[in-house]
Amino acid sequence: MEGAARDWRWSVLAYALALALTLAVTTVIIVALGHDPIPAYRTALKDSVGTIGGLSQTLNRMTPLLLASLAFALGFKAGAFNIGMDGQIYAGAILATGVGFLLADLEVGRIVGLPVALLAAGVGGALWILLPAVMRVVWGVNEIFTTVMLNFVATLLVEYLATGPWNDPMAGEAITLPVPRGVTLPMLLARGGAHSGVILASIVALAAWAFLYRTRAGYELRAVGSNPLAAQMAGISLRRVHLLALLLSGAAAGLGGGIEVAGVHHRLLLGLTPDYGIMGILIAVLAGFHPVLLIPANFAFAVLVAASDSLQRTVGFPSAAVFMLQALVVIIVIGVQALQQRRRRFVI
Amino acid sequence: MPSLTETSGRGAGPSFGAEPPFVHAQGISKRFGAIQALDGVNFEVARGEIHVVLGENGAGKTSLMSVLTGLYQADAGEILVDGRPVRITSPADALRLGIAMVPQHVELVNNLTVWENVILGREQGGLFLRRDHQRQQVAELAQRYDLPIDPDAVVASLAAGQKQKVEILKMLHRQARLLILDEPTTYLTPQEVDSLFGTLTSLVQRGMTVILVTHKLRDALRIGNRLTVMRGGRVVAAGVPASETDELQLVRWLIGGQDETGQLLEAEPLPPLGSEAAPVLQVENLSVQVPGRVALRDISLTVRAGEIVGLAGVAGSGQRELAEALVGLLPTAGGRVLLNGTDITAWPVAHRLDAGLACIPEDRLREGILPSMPIVETFVLGLHRYLFPDGRYRIGKALEAANRVIDEYKVKTPHAWFPTAALSGGNVQKVIVGRAVQMCSYHRHPALVAMNPTRGLDVRTVRDVHHRLRQVASQGGAVLLVSEDLDELMGNCHRIAVIYQGRVDAVFDGPDYDRYQIGEYMLGRHEREAG
Amino acid sequence: MDWSVLLSADVLGQMLFFATPLLLAALGEVITERSGVLNVAIEGLMALGASVGFLAAYLAASNGVGIGAAMAAGGLIGLLLAYGTISLQVSQLTLGLALHVLCVGLASLLYRLVVGLQFVPPQIQTFRGKGGDTLWQVLTGLPGPVYAVLLLAVVVHVIIFHTPVGLRLRACGENPRAADLLGVNVFRIRYLATVVGSMLIAAAGALLPMMLTATYSDRMIGGRGWIALMLVILGRWLPFRIVLGGWLFGYVEALQYRLGLQLVTVPPQFLLMLPYVFVILVAIRAYGGAAGPQALMRPYDREARG
Repeated sequence: MEGAARDWRWSVLAYALALALTLAVTTVIIVALGHDPIPAYRTALKDSVGTIGGLSQTLNRMTPLLLASLAFALGFKAGAFNIGMDGQIYAGAILATGVGFLLADLEVGRIVGLPVALLAAGVGGALWILLPAVMRVVWGVNEIFTTVMLNFVATLLVEYLATGPWNDPMAGEAITLPVPRGVTLPMLLARGGAHSGVILASIVALAAWAFLYRTRAGYELRAVGSNPLAAQMAGISLRRVHLLALLLSGAAAGLGGGIEVAGVHHRLLLGLTPDYGIMGILIAVLAGFHPVLLIPANFAFAVLVAASDSLQRTVGFPSAAVFMLQALVVIIVIGVQALQQRRRRFVI
Repeated sequence: MPSLTETSGRGAGPSFGAEPPFVHAQGISKRFGAIQALDGVNFEVARGEIHVVLGENGAGKTSLMSVLTGLYQADAGEILVDGRPVRITSPADALRLGIAMVPQHVELVNNLTVWENVILGREQGGLFLRRDHQRQQVAELAQRYDLPIDPDAVVASLAAGQKQKVEILKMLHRQARLLILDEPTTYLTPQEVDSLFGTLTSLVQRGMTVILVTHKLRDALRIGNRLTVMRGGRVVAAGVPASETDELQLVRWLIGGQDETGQLLEAEPLPPLGSEAAPVLQVENLSVQVPGRVALRDISLTVRAGEIVGLAGVAGSGQRELAEALVGLLPTAGGRVLLNGTDITAWPVAHRLDAGLACIPEDRLREGILPSMPIVETFVLGLHRYLFPDGRYRIGKALEAANRVIDEYKVKTPHAWFPTAALSGGNVQKVIVGRAVQMCSYHRHPALVAMNPTRGLDVRTVRDVHHRLRQVASQGGAVLLVSEDLDELMGNCHRIAVIYQGRVDAVFDGPDYDRYQIGEYMLGRHEREAG
Repeated sequence: MDWSVLLSADVLGQMLFFATPLLLAALGEVITERSGVLNVAIEGLMALGASVGFLAAYLAASNGVGIGAAMAAGGLIGLLLAYGTISLQVSQLTLGLALHVLCVGLASLLYRLVVGLQFVPPQIQTFRGKGGDTLWQVLTGLPGPVYAVLLLAVVVHVIIFHTPVGLRLRACGENPRAADLLGVNVFRIRYLATVVGSMLIAAAGALLPMMLTATYSDRMIGGRGWIALMLVILGRWLPFRIVLGGWLFGYVEALQYRLGLQLVTVPPQFLLMLPYVFVILVAIRAYGGAAGPQALMRPYDREARG
């Protein structure tokens, strides 16, 4: 398989190039900020993968990222562009928090409380995308606009809740009261602070793979994404598939919001998962929208995020830079892929 | 008689001999991946002639013309115009040399008017479009060359024959000296073909040189001064005067081996139709409305078991809407559709397919395949409900079925996991036909709707597709063959129905059809005469 | 409350005022889309334009320099988008979204690197109009960019429908092969449209600090790019209809501020939601029968086989 070998080499080239450029730009920025890059990198490595604490940080960040990128991939596989994961994460978080407050009075334990809260989070995400999904299948409105507009609405809604009815008066910022212990996630690495959400998110990703590639409904979903006209002629209902895909997508993102509340903050707050939704798009692109490949890709991005947070603490590395670097990585990778594809057209 | 040679050399008639050929291509080669589309082709055309390039689909005719017009870059070879070597790297280069092509599928900007399409790329107005002036110019040009077209008409509203004339007008506006027409007659009625050939003859009389690319012997012998025959990317006969050859000779050149000659000339016989054959697909007074217009009006049509019924009509007469209504993609406004006696008018697509309806879509790349997915997954599209009744996707089962079809239909692919988008048109169509035939195989009396199933395919694949349609019919199925190519229908159908402006006014019984009579109905002339 | 304020001179003036950046971005986008390229990096391009525009205007103490710098930055990103989508034939949505993120990050980063962390953010001079009391005075006393952008709408209309370049642009967006066969350089037209469009979009971003805030902040675009993208569809790819749509959105934004003064009991977040909810509702109308350029989002490949 000479072709496969060449593909493999191109991929390595793409990732190596992306990594090298990322390092180069990062180094330039650190130097521009007037610091020595070597010790900064050493700390960053420790704070992302080098210690239990760092690894925990990475795993915690990976969880909502994985679910956000899975959400985008699920929609994309059906030919839909849900770019409102940030809104759906918030919606999931709102519902999980709300349910947490309700359950507080009932004093239920984790066995009941946690599944209910996480289920509510999934439902919240799905509800938040219900309007765009219905508008897509009934009026043909492109979900890009509707989902992205709802991001802004969700942010404002959280701001209202976190400063208004649910506000923690002691906090002095946009943050709610804590949810009861019964709706919090158990720890995975108690010493480092990693919660068990990453296990749950990975299981969801594997389940998504099984659904897409091992069920007839999953095949129909992928068929619609590949060619809606052909799928329609084969008796597949575009409306049903798009509705299903978008609701699943919203639910995945919503679950991510619920886990973030139940695992990390135990509260709802503004800036819960800053721009993780849009980062999820990049990661999904990078992983070729494959649910299983999303797991390592998200780990890599989470390392990047954790490392950049560390650099922010040590040398004042701007958080915006990591955003830019991630985009750069993706642009380089898809650029190299495109170059490669141009070279092997007209195979048969 | 030297004086005669001189006069004929000055544009009026064909001139062969002393002076260098108008356009001369030498040793042209072009490769697409594993396919050698052109293999050291030599080709020349003389000033003032109508030169026919004859060849089956896939013989390399279009590739050669694409090299001459700068659409493709040759891997090797040289082009000379008036004896001087030239480099043609884009259509713009070709136009500067006076070489222009009218492609098989007309390439017009549909939402622009005729005059805008004509002047596009050569507006000559300075900073602004001088509307009135340029519209006037186009009108004059049309009048001068006897091409009656309204310059203000929006192109989308024109018939196929008229669109072709807009293409010619475009090239005249560019002062083309050599006009290449690629398969111009395929989608025209016999009457429109007459009109086109009249136009070409009069253009040549005014000094134009024409290359006519075709696979139809009738056209070639009727209008060509000289013929060049291509096969498998090579020229097998170069510049033969039309008067010195005949159909049999041309067929030999076209297909090579002599023993195959008889077979190809004589189409496979149609399976005989039982007199007691039951109706399978019945359309009763079907009407369909699409936004803004009535697409189908009161159509009645029956296809019986074992029968192939053709649906003839110029493009856009409602064939597409009929097929979509039968499959269930368009809601009906009136009438019924019955499949083996069951009223399926209100059924969704999936139920119809499960009840024994199958479809070969019109545009195989846009409607037939899953481009980003492997061949096996394209193959099971539609079959998936048969193959995975319990909702579990069993890839082994899918592979087994796909590999069977790949073997039986000789689909050229390394394996079933190959990306569908990498297949050539012919191989894609084999997969789609194989899928439809297999869907039919689950039923005693299936109904197969085949929309232009052979468009753009090479001769062997065309025969293969026709063979499969016969096979479905002979095993008890009913086939509705929709095609804009009248020759295809006349050779493959028990009966031919003609659709014109969403109505079926006539059904003709085979096997002896009157081409011109069908043409009259395709153009709606029967109405004007009656009224 | 007094409902007559809904049509007061003040609100109408603000309508034109708020519509201006939206319109400029939408005009940039329509040029690009008419050539067959969808630029979904629009929101990020506006952010980059706002940051670069603000910084240049701040350093040079000139808004003109700021707009020029923003356009240069936008042009560079546009070139990248053009190379990826036209030459490499990468998916316009994927690359557009990636560039959007890149621009958002770059905008923020540039501001941080140049200005650093300051307690009191630096300010620039905003464009000011004469103002006035009567309707006529209000409508004629708005800041210069309001009229400049309206004039630009006329220019874009004339270019698209009354010049050879516009004819070629429309042809490339509808049927690039037809255009190519006639010697129109599809690649050049698409590159040009993408770069020019991106420059205008970035300039629209630069107008935000120069007209509204006088400062730069990371989330100041607030979805205006996406709204402009919707505006193109609502306006059916016609510059004059886009102007009308832009006024509609401008009116809602003006109204939101006005209502904020009147309805003090409603939490401000709900009023701020108003434009976004409005866009969602308008989307239903916008998509009814919308048919964009036929070749939109389809890369042109000269040697593609049928």
